[in-house]
Amino acid sequence: MESIFANLLLGFEVALRPDVLLYAFLGCLVGTLVGMLPGIGPLAGISILLPVTFGLDATKAIVMLAGIYYGSQYGGSTTSILMRIPGEAASVMTCIDGHAMARKGRAGAALAIAAVGSFIAGTFGVIMLTLVAPPLAAFALRFGPPEYAALLVLGLVFLAYMSSTSLVRTLLMACTGMLLGCIGIDVMTGHFRYSFDIKELGDGIGIVPVAVGLFGLGEILSTPSKTVTDKVASPRLAELLPNREEWRQSAMPIARGSVLGFLVGIVPGSAHIIASFLSYAVEKRVSKTPEEFGKGAVAGVAGPESANNSASTGAFVPMLALGLPTGPVTAVLMAALLIHGVSPGPNLVTEYPQVFWGFIASMYVGNMMLLALNLPLVGLFVKVLQIPYAYLYPLIIMFCIIGVYEVNHSIVDVWIMLIMGVFGYILRKFDFDPAPLVLGLVIAPTFELSLRQSLVMSSGNWTIFFSRPIAAALFAICGLLLVLSAISYISRKDWREKLAEVEAGEK
Amino acid sequence: MNLRRDHVAGGSFVLAGVLVLAVSSDLPFGTMASPGAGMLPMLLVGIMLAFGLVLFLRAGESPPLMSIAWDDLAHAIRVTAVTIAGIALYEGLGFVVTMALVLFTLTFIVERKHVAIAAALSVGVTIFAYMLFGMLLKSPLPRGILGF
Repeated sequence: MESIFANLLLGFEVALRPDVLLYAFLGCLVGTLVGMLPGIGPLAGISILLPVTFGLDATKAIVMLAGIYYGSQYGGSTTSILMRIPGEAASVMTCIDGHAMARKGRAGAALAIAAVGSFIAGTFGVIMLTLVAPPLAAFALRFGPPEYAALLVLGLVFLAYMSSTSLVRTLLMACTGMLLGCIGIDVMTGHFRYSFDIKELGDGIGIVPVAVGLFGLGEILSTPSKTVTDKVASPRLAELLPNREEWRQSAMPIARGSVLGFLVGIVPGSAHIIASFLSYAVEKRVSKTPEEFGKGAVAGVAGPESANNSASTGAFVPMLALGLPTGPVTAVLMAALLIHGVSPGPNLVTEYPQVFWGFIASMYVGNMMLLALNLPLVGLFVKVLQIPYAYLYPLIIMFCIIGVYEVNHSIVDVWIMLIMGVFGYILRKFDFDPAPLVLGLVIAPTFELSLRQSLVMSSGNWTIFFSRPIAAALFAICGLLLVLSAISYISRKDWREKLAEVEAGEK
Repeated sequence: MNLRRDHVAGGSFVLAGVLVLAVSSDLPFGTMASPGAGMLPMLLVGIMLAFGLVLFLRAGESPPLMSIAWDDLAHAIRVTAVTIAGIALYEGLGFVVTMALVLFTLTFIVERKHVAIAAALSVGVTIFAYMLFGMLLKSPLPRGILGF
């Protein structure tokens, strides 16, 4: 512990240098902006700025690029709350209750809770990164293809069990999403699947067109301007921030989201954006007022946003301690380190202590910068809602088209967005929740690869999933949840159905 | 039969599953030791057919189909039509012209706002977006036949 403290002091000596502070601020600012703009995610922001770092030393380069990554988690919540457009995939769950809070005149509170929750979770993640990176990374190394497959199945089943809509409907949506995720070239055999000779579909369907279409465009299609009669009053400064009750309601969700997000984030290849989905499901399940979810529940914003940020910090554990990228963003960050002659991995701490501890210390500083950047701007962001809806939604449509086209410069993506928008409109009519569809789309590639690798490893023997302790434990939990669901389904004392009845009666 | 919401929903998923099955005939299922490109899709289709059927069979507990409110349908059709036109013209006419036309159509024709306000908004916001994305972020926006 003393050596950790001493090393952290060394890190702060590096991180608090004016030139390093400047690059941390630049990274956080760019990250917030790219997080807010749909279609321009952290990967695009980091990739665009990577060449700029060639003239910098390794510490400044990684501090700035990492700032873009976790800064984008803050920024993604802004458009989710104000316009119901997920700024990036991890902000999908914030769209639901965040935008509902905004419609109730609590946009400022939602933005502030998202910012503070992100700060607390991000700081928690950095503290955990400091203290437990090496032993946790060693545990994460035990995850192989069977464990990844089990973890992703558990994530889906857990989400379905916790959801207030029926298990059947949730799993149908997840299956639909996973089928969409199968579109494109099969990575193991090279077969084109469901591309219908459209070459742009060879790379599959992206998350951005689907998420923006389902949540952004779908909302606009089901909301004629004549039904939007609420005027968003110009709030006073005190009304912009959460009141005491809202802070109280957000405390435990922030705590739970921080822990859950970090644990999900440290597992390499776990598609850590599932952390926000899982957090939402947990909060709904433990809440004393689950009927409030979907209508502006504070916990529905606090939990997922915290989990989101904590997971993005947790993702650095395997990258730094083992040299294992957890996804495309951390892969580019690793590339940045390698370009500067620094090899991430077990020797990073001993061979480059200034880079390692400087990076960690800069994350403490970066989280404070992001809070300072986002909180004062809450009042400015809320003004967006004062634009009459009849003028606002055409602007949203324009930004949706721009953002989605920006991803791959492909008009096919924009057509997909439109199709998903119409699909999202129909799903609302038939009372289906689109969130599990997005989750299915996200996890499909990882799940399929893990499943097939597991079968190849075991020469087709399914028992590999039950002979490995971690995978067996995860599948046992899946089985338990499914049995519990079946029991309540058969006995017709399903708490989810009662909740759904209460919600339907209130519509 | 009194048609219920979940009759349509469940039936649609069953139909979708059958359609996916039909277009998947060329995908090899493979073997357990060497799973093919068709394995996961087939598993998912099986689950979709099963759950779709469950939804259909339990449809008696869902609300009647006629209870679904469609008063927003006209708005949805109009917005969809304008968006379709905008996407179709996006790469041909270019960003500036297309976005200005889309904004103007939605605000003046669909929302029936004053023509001067609609025009000013359309042109002003399009120019702002062009400066933000095209010039500041250097995003290659489609230029179209008019060169901008």
